[in-house]
Amino acid sequence: MLKQLNRADLDLLLTQISDEYRLQVPQLLADGTRQLAGYTGEAELSLTGEVLQRKPSAFFFPQTQRLLDIDTAGAVAVPQPAEKPLALFGLNQADLAGIRFLDRFFRAAPADDAYLRQRNGALLIGLTGMAGPDNCFLSLSAGDCDIELVAVKESWLALGHSSDGEKLLQNFPEGDKTQLVRMRHLNEGTAAESDLLQQASQLLIEDRVPDQFWMEIADRCILCSGCNLVCPTCSCFCVQDRNRGEITERSRVWDSCQLDAFMREASGHNPLGTDALRTRRRIHHKLAADVERWGEFGCVACGRCDRTCPTGIGMMAVAEEMVKCFGPGKP
Amino acid sequence: MHPPTVDNQSIYAPRSCRLLAVSKLTPQEKLFRLRLEDGRELNHQPGQFVQVSIPGLTEAPISIASSPTCKGYFELGVRKAGLLTGALHQLQPGAQIGIRGPFGRPFQLEALLGKQLLLLAGGCGLAPLRSLIQYCQKQSSAYSAVQILYGARSPQDLLFKDDLEDWQLSTNFNCRYTVDQAPASSCYDGETGLLTRLLADVQVEADNCCAVLVGPPPMYQPVISALHRMGLNGPQQIMLSLERQMRCGVGKCGHCTIDHLYCCSDGPIFWLEEVEHLRGAL
Ligand SMILES: Cc1cc2nc3c(=O)[nH]c(=O)nc-3n(C[C@H](O)[C@H](O)[C@H](O)COP(=O)(O)OP(=O)(O)OC[C@H]3O[C@@H](n4cnc5c(N)ncnc54)[C@H](O)[C@@H]3O)c2cc1C
Ligand code: FES
Repeated sequence: MLKQLNRADLDLLLTQISDEYRLQVPQLLADGTRQLAGYTGEAELSLTGEVLQRKPSAFFFPQTQRLLDIDTAGAVAVPQPAEKPLALFGLNQADLAGIRFLDRFFRAAPADDAYLRQRNGALLIGLTGMAGPDNCFLSLSAGDCDIELVAVKESWLALGHSSDGEKLLQNFPEGDKTQLVRMRHLNEGTAAESDLLQQASQLLIEDRVPDQFWMEIADRCILCSGCNLVCPTCSCFCVQDRNRGEITERSRVWDSCQLDAFMREASGHNPLGTDALRTRRRIHHKLAADVERWGEFGCVACGRCDRTCPTGIGMMAVAEEMVKCFGPGKP
Repeated sequence: MHPPTVDNQSIYAPRSCRLLAVSKLTPQEKLFRLRLEDGRELNHQPGQFVQVSIPGLTEAPISIASSPTCKGYFELGVRKAGLLTGALHQLQPGAQIGIRGPFGRPFQLEALLGKQLLLLAGGCGLAPLRSLIQYCQKQSSAYSAVQILYGARSPQDLLFKDDLEDWQLSTNFNCRYTVDQAPASSCYDGETGLLTRLLADVQVEADNCCAVLVGPPPMYQPVISALHRMGLNGPQQIMLSLERQMRCGVGKCGHCTIDHLYCCSDGPIFWLEEVEHLRGAL
């Protein structure tokens, strides 16, 4: 299904969606960054620009997420799903890939009910095409959303990728196929980042990166754990209890493999006992272990860790350095 | 908030258990006998673990120390190592706690059938191994021989002393234990030295032998080398249990990863050849 929406159509679509969903839309913050926020119909939408500062997957796997309550008799109560499911608008190709990665991870048996309470029934609306900073081109999605809006000049091509998406789009006018073909052409030239990751991954799988490399990268790390916290596919958590009168609230909280306590056992044994091992783990897990486990990189090349890391050792920077030092043509 | 129902189950919801009995094993370790409040059996297999939940202190993974052939209860041998295990040590019979599980890949029982078994435990590792030993005791004809070797730090750290005596008297088993060091003041007159010393004079038919190892990380390399020297070099000849920090027990929290594996659900029991090439596994 291909439709075409002008600005009034887009507003109409969003209003319709907000009747049935808790719709989150991109907005510009005072500091110039972009963030998803609740749709009010009034605040101005930010329809082009830099990557959303916060990872959208945090709506499904938030920093703190209540798992259950336990009372003094040991009886357990679980949170109720919200009445209206979430709808997230403005997701780019990497945001969607990140959510797809988490979906597979949390749905793998045994399915994670805490994640699914937020995720089930939620609507994902991609925003791709000429929607980047200064209207530059953003890669098209892999179809892993309900609706994809591909920004073209002064309108949006609208693709329904799921039956829910198609239903919402059905009353809008037909889209211009030639414009879509043009967008697909542009899309073919956007593989540079994944080429770099591919080469870095190969080096790790073939064990061609010496420990000295990780020691040097680790020396630059300030242990802030920002890389993990902004990563849309990082899913590690610790568990926290809070006593409130007769009830204990049990929640999970994001954790970071860059912290010394992450794997330390009660006996003191720590399989990730040095900064170098932890730094290696951060990269190796996404580019080698995830490939072995899930057949896919755990890095969706969203660029958030590279933007966040104060010392310049985000994923892309490390991958580049790795390939430069040990890649093709190096001894 | 509402109670979990059939279509609203939570993988994080503990089930209520009643503490039936507590006994002291060593100054640091106690044995807890528990029963599920709903009267059901735990239905575990030797080598599996549960997540013990105490409200306010979250959870800790603890191996099941009794065999599934023991009906009406299950047992946990717990070392006082921190907050949750410390609180557990304070509890009296009649107390209520939560558990989730059983979790994890158990000992590969089928691979052991008809084999000579070398069951090797170090320290706290005797707790999960006890589940297997009790299980073997119930069907001793299934194995051609069962040798139990156990090492503890000192005489007062020896776990399950009554069981050790039983196993030594049993015609089904050949059971020996050792302590790293016995202070002169102790009345211990048994063997001393590391577990590998006991292995030195063990005779096995290497081709038909399977070793099972459960112990602290420093035990593995020396014991594995000794087993290799004894001729246990084939696939499915050495099975071991790996310990990692575990928060969820179900492959979600990420604390227990070993390369691409999750120790809680792909393990904690592995064949040596599944993990020996993975960095940091052993
Ligand atoms: C599969 C499996 C099976 C197990 N089976 C058994 C069993 O049968 N019996 C048994 O006794 N144990 C067993 N354990 C170990 C047991 O899970 C731990 O002893 C337990 O989790 C400790 O929990 P705690 O809350 O009492 O300790 P915690 O309060 O978490 O602390 C443990 C100790 O570690 C120290 N510590 C904690 N965090 C840090 C840190 N960041 N840096 C430095 N030190 C730190 C603390 O000082 C404390 O002494 C098993 C573990 C696994 C993974
Ligand atoms: S214990 Fe949580 S993933 Fe294994």
